[in-house]
Amino acid sequence: MTLKRRALLALAVAATGLAALPALAQDYPNKPITMLVGYNAGGQTDLVARGAAQVLSQELGQPINVVNVPGAGGVVSAKKLQESPNDGYTIMFHANSVVNSAPFLMKRVDFKPDDFEWGGFITAYQGGLVAPADAPYNDLAEFVAWAKENPNFAYGALSPEARMYMNEIAKKNDLKANIVPLNSGGEMINAILGHQVVMALSGGIHAKYPDQIKMLATLTTFRHSNAPEVKSIDDFGYSLAMDTRAGIMAPKGTDPAIMAKLSAALAKCETDESFQKIVAAANIPIIYMDAAAAKAEMEATFAKNGEIYKSAGVEPQ
Amino acid sequence: MRRANIYSGGFLALLGLAMILFVIPAQIEEGPAGMMSPRLVPQMIMGLMTALSVMLVVRNLMLPDDGEGSPVSRSEYIALLKIGSVFALALVLFYFAGPLWAGLAIVLGSLLALGERRPLVLVLMPIALLAGVWVLFYRVLGTAIL
Amino acid sequence: MQALIGGFAEVFTFSTMFWIVTGVTVGYILGVLPGLGKATGVAVSIPLTFYLHPVAAIAMLIGIAKGSTAGGAVSAILLNTPGEPSSAPTALDGYPLARQGKAGKALKMGLYASVIGDLLSTIVLIGLAAPLASYALLIGPVELCAILVFSLTFIGGLSGKSLIKGLIAGCLGIAFSTVGLEIETFIPRLTFGMLELDDGVKLVPMAIGMLAVAEMIVQAGNIRKLDAETAEIGKSNRREDRNLSLEDWKVCAMPIIRGTFIGTVIGILPGLGASVASFLSYGAARRAADRPEEFGTGRIEGVAAAESADNAVIPSSLVPLFALGIPGSVIAAILIAAFVLHGLTPGPLMFKENPTMVAAVYASMLCASLAMLVVGSLGQPIFARIARFPIRLIIPGVLLLCCVGAYMETSSLFSIYIMLIFALIGFFAKKFDYSFVTFLIGFVIGPQVELTFRQSLQLLNHDPTRLLQHPIAAVFIVITLVTLVLMARSRRNQPEAPGVATTKSLNQGGEI
Repeated sequence: MTLKRRALLALAVAATGLAALPALAQDYPNKPITMLVGYNAGGQTDLVARGAAQVLSQELGQPINVVNVPGAGGVVSAKKLQESPNDGYTIMFHANSVVNSAPFLMKRVDFKPDDFEWGGFITAYQGGLVAPADAPYNDLAEFVAWAKENPNFAYGALSPEARMYMNEIAKKNDLKANIVPLNSGGEMINAILGHQVVMALSGGIHAKYPDQIKMLATLTTFRHSNAPEVKSIDDFGYSLAMDTRAGIMAPKGTDPAIMAKLSAALAKCETDESFQKIVAAANIPIIYMDAAAAKAEMEATFAKNGEIYKSAGVEPQ
Repeated sequence: MRRANIYSGGFLALLGLAMILFVIPAQIEEGPAGMMSPRLVPQMIMGLMTALSVMLVVRNLMLPDDGEGSPVSRSEYIALLKIGSVFALALVLFYFAGPLWAGLAIVLGSLLALGERRPLVLVLMPIALLAGVWVLFYRVLGTAIL
Repeated sequence: MQALIGGFAEVFTFSTMFWIVTGVTVGYILGVLPGLGKATGVAVSIPLTFYLHPVAAIAMLIGIAKGSTAGGAVSAILLNTPGEPSSAPTALDGYPLARQGKAGKALKMGLYASVIGDLLSTIVLIGLAAPLASYALLIGPVELCAILVFSLTFIGGLSGKSLIKGLIAGCLGIAFSTVGLEIETFIPRLTFGMLELDDGVKLVPMAIGMLAVAEMIVQAGNIRKLDAETAEIGKSNRREDRNLSLEDWKVCAMPIIRGTFIGTVIGILPGLGASVASFLSYGAARRAADRPEEFGTGRIEGVAAAESADNAVIPSSLVPLFALGIPGSVIAAILIAAFVLHGLTPGPLMFKENPTMVAAVYASMLCASLAMLVVGSLGQPIFARIARFPIRLIIPGVLLLCCVGAYMETSSLFSIYIMLIFALIGFFAKKFDYSFVTFLIGFVIGPQVELTFRQSLQLLNHDPTRLLQHPIAAVFIVITLVTLVLMARSRRNQPEAPGVATTKSLNQGGEI
């Protein structure tokens, strides 16, 4: 094949492709959509994803097949998404921490926000530092004062972020903490209720135990729907708050028109009764962001989180 | 079993040594100070396994030869080869043709490899099995696996 | 009691009963299929239950959990393919029984043991949920670590003909369990840079490969002999092979009671799960037997012990959930969502605020046990026909199911590779007589021991004298030491010939 013919052919392919593109976005979707979820079936994010899939398929008029691809906190699934065609028929519903947190913690992950297209967020995670309800301290400042009197206290951590928080608090206040590794949210609840640890980081599951567990500080920039009186860790002078949201991501290069359609359909979750029921049961607030806001949020949090991890001296493993 | 024990014990002892000397240091980093090293448990357990394997070899060397041959028979090696090839073919088809063909290769390939020649069975069984899997996942459970 | 009667009144409506039976049936079928488990079943069904009455919804979900646990025994016995990881020990004796033409007997015992274990454990849940739960919190990481170390001594009793080879297999199991992110330092171990391995080697594809695929390869290598045997099975349609005799019940009574006890206790302790229970119960039955070396060759007690413990875990793992709102198992964690969705917050307040509702849930659980008996009895003859097919027709089907089951777990080919690697390991382990049981116990318990040990180090502030503040842990450490000394003594008194075990016939070797 000569160079000229090859160039012509490429041009022809490009032309038909261009011609086809708008039509593609207009008909979208005309076949079932696959939605990857990077956690196991039955988890909280999976429940929300399945709820959202229901709404999306009503709005878009095509079935949405939820496929669980667990592994490395969603990184495996995100890599699979990257390899998928960017035609809008493979999307992923996941926590955005897979892009704005994982690269700073895992050496083998180099995601950046613009490696993906963002189709909007629908829920946010309400993480916080929690303690048994009968503990003698009621907020983070009081805890620090108590901890100075009681060195070698036990703190429960189930993620590198959780370790980072305690290390930063300890560094700033010259505390001596024993960090107890925990395996799951359920184990964290056990450790708190059984008074094995005096404080732990919760991803939000503590909200199910309002009478036994209290929150000392939120780890988000916003106040939580179920405990509006609790202040953010930023308010205690640490600037460590990191927001995590769940929503739709798609392979890089997916048509913006398709992303807009997905984003508009996702917005309907806000008012969908059965979706509201699901997230209310799991104590997850609905905080909708459209595609443009989601992209801006990703850029901002990626830079901010990177700064936090860097200044805390957290090395990716 | 005597000879099988000596060979398998020797193999496992070498494997354990290789793990301790090369694989674990290369694959597991030393953790930060103040925490139990992540290498500790793998190294301990591989050390124990190596010691046990050496013991197995030594104790069997002391036994008289029982004259038993390989515990794996010729026909079993052939079966391993046959089923292995069926899986290899299925994997290749999965990458280049799609999951449906891979599934077909597994059912049809193993039927043929095991000596089934009745055409009716060769046609009906793959269809019935694959259709069954499809109905179960996509219709009954309403979920996708591929 | 009054409340329980009220609860039954609420459950004995057509629609509630219908959903219980549906749940059990769906669960039973899911359980039979390898790789499809209760977690998948319950997770997929939760959205379906939006449209149901709360009691019916929860009853259906619990029915799925119970049914799938019982169903796991069917494929374990007929195909040597555990439908659920916790049914793996059922296969050890159930499958040899099926090969001897006693599939009907083994299936029946599996079902009855499941139902008995389940029923008794449900009664424990009803009677003791509140008082027991306050003790559950006394078991912290330090205590759990001591208990787990104690349970590791069971490996000695389980290792079959050669203690050394059993221990080697256990070491290998632990070694494979260390793959993945270490939970304290978050440093990847032995992952060879593969992100898919960060969460470790998954039990389901591993067990499918080692048990089922390896078994199919061995069978393919002995096809003629097995077909002759199958022909025998077809001819000898003896009543006593299909039905349970009084003699069978006599030998199984103790293992079932013991298994139910073990399963109930392990269910109440958080985080251990059904696999640990069924393996421990199987091991305990084997130790207690007068001829332990016959286990693995088709002893009906093996099936009874494993299945009773397996099923007893499900109701009792709800004890911490009901009494304190703490999920003691995956299934309990998923059920929390369902409970809350239907206006019931698990925890002590549940008993005060919603006594009729709790009673109705209890009543529906009892009904689910009985539904399991009916569904199982009706389903078994249909499934048992599989055992009569010639091997060359079974193998292709099982291989396909294995692939689907392994693939399901992560929706990626990676699991298939894991399955194939362990099929190869399993094939040689089987032929060279290295115990699969100790391998799996090491794999399941090993990481728990390491984690709880790491937790204990922090909780005790690296100071062993602080152990005195944990009397339960101290007691278990003493028991462990005593057991080890006793075992060492009994071994010295009756010296074993190492590794002279022979697998004369394919099915007499038994040890997988």
